[in-house]
Amino acid sequence: MREVTATILENIRIAENIYSLTFATDEEIEVRPGQFCMVGVQDFPLRRPIAVCKAEGERITVCYQVKGAGTHALAENYKQGEQLSVLLPLGNGFYVKEEEKRVALVGGGVGIFPLISAIRAYAGKKEVFSYMGFRNRAAYCMPYELQRSDRLVVATDDGSMGYHGTSVQAFMEEIEDIKPDVILSCGPTPMLHALKKATEGRNIPVYVSLEERMGCGIGACLVCVCEKTDGAHARVCKDGPVFNINEVVL
Amino acid sequence: MADLSVNVCGVTLKNPVIPASGTFGFGREFNELYDISCLGGVATKGLTLKPRLGNPVPRIAEGRSVILNAVGLQNPGVDAFLEHDLAWLKQKTRVLANVAGSTIEDYTEICARLDGLVDFVELNISCPNVKCGGMAFGIRPETIGEVTRAAKKSLVKTPLIVKLSPNVESIALNAQAAEKGGADCISLVNTFTGMVIDIERRKPLLANTTGGVSGAGIKPIAVRMVYEASHAVHIPVIGMGGICTAEDAVEFLMAGASAVQVGTHNFTDTFACPKIIAGLNDWCDRHGVSHVSELTGALQ
Repeated sequence: MREVTATILENIRIAENIYSLTFATDEEIEVRPGQFCMVGVQDFPLRRPIAVCKAEGERITVCYQVKGAGTHALAENYKQGEQLSVLLPLGNGFYVKEEEKRVALVGGGVGIFPLISAIRAYAGKKEVFSYMGFRNRAAYCMPYELQRSDRLVVATDDGSMGYHGTSVQAFMEEIEDIKPDVILSCGPTPMLHALKKATEGRNIPVYVSLEERMGCGIGACLVCVCEKTDGAHARVCKDGPVFNINEVVL
Repeated sequence: MADLSVNVCGVTLKNPVIPASGTFGFGREFNELYDISCLGGVATKGLTLKPRLGNPVPRIAEGRSVILNAVGLQNPGVDAFLEHDLAWLKQKTRVLANVAGSTIEDYTEICARLDGLVDFVELNISCPNVKCGGMAFGIRPETIGEVTRAAKKSLVKTPLIVKLSPNVESIALNAQAAEKGGADCISLVNTFTGMVIDIERRKPLLANTTGGVSGAGIKPIAVRMVYEASHAVHIPVIGMGGICTAEDAVEFLMAGASAVQVGTHNFTDTFACPKIIAGLNDWCDRHGVSHVSELTGALQ
């Protein structure tokens, strides 16, 4: 974990309300799939937590949705060549065991971006089956990265592209055929609920990356907690963002 | 090189900069980024007698130059702190154990457990985010006096700081009530009770509906309150509220504070405290100030 003053290489719109931000750091930073960073935005007291999509040595790419004033400012005011204060790498990230050879990725909305880091980490080393959900064709993005998967199913809510339905539905239609050893997922809470319900009793480990409003991003302030099934609280930023689906109350 | 050390209640701090309670945990996470032994001290996360889970999420929201939090005193309890964290933190820097309770007896008991083990006890009678206790004790001079006296009875060896709420009628009267109750020092301000609404959902943004407002936007109000409180009492004052730079810290010192706490800005800039310490040294050097303590109350 470090704080870096990064130089922006690119900050461009890649889909409806979605931007891809690539920055260069002064030295190579190792980022695990599923880890995130906290990006400082001028005049906003809180940094924005954003999942790392690609980490290529000194070049880091994150993708974010323009949702509120902070992400709007990030999209509008930060151009190529400008500097950015970033804390990274943060959180635990995804862990796939050596013996887990067949990895299924189930993502929805902005939840696909941390999963892209998993595709990049495991493509060529494991068999990667990706089920990625988008609202519609206009939201679809990063085809080159998604297509590194051994199998890619794109699902859209309105059927304007690929499978008509959710990524969980698309995944469950194929689960018997692909027989995954492990499932990694990220997306809206109702999607994670559906995945939990659909995979219950199958004895396949499911890991989910959670999202929560954060304060410090490093585990000190106890703002971004989630409830664990044992009644305790876990810090999404430090103990997560990745949890076993049975370990947390969704 | 100016002498940045300050003396608060007979305890020497190597500099007057202390991260504020709730923004810094017990220091371990920030210590992964920089050696926290550079700090004047650390005000711990608020400690209660029993572990607390705190409020539902979302616990944080943002306004222009301010944030709101409603964590609700999640903490592992005083015993867990004593067992797992105190020894480590103590070898790093001065420890201000922030304590909170729901009853007078809670405060008495927690203080008894901490007496002689920490450098200061900071009595949190100003948390706006818990249903009973907390701020309920910190609004009126009578209850401030009562809880201060009770805590003081348990503290034979450790100086007592009473952390005051700004959500009050007269900060000067409340500061005096703490002093009369036996406080060795007061710290202020805790957060202002506030609210943010998500107009699309027509719902409060915080799960707790209201939260404590902190950050740069509250600084002028906090400076005024530190000024009024420090002129109403004879005990030292620790000032806080929106400090982001060394110049902000100097302002609080001039208003009457002997030391300062930095809260929200630790989130904006993880290295806020070390930068403020370095900046204080530079400011003193540029202004011919040989001891930072000369700045306390140094209004002309």
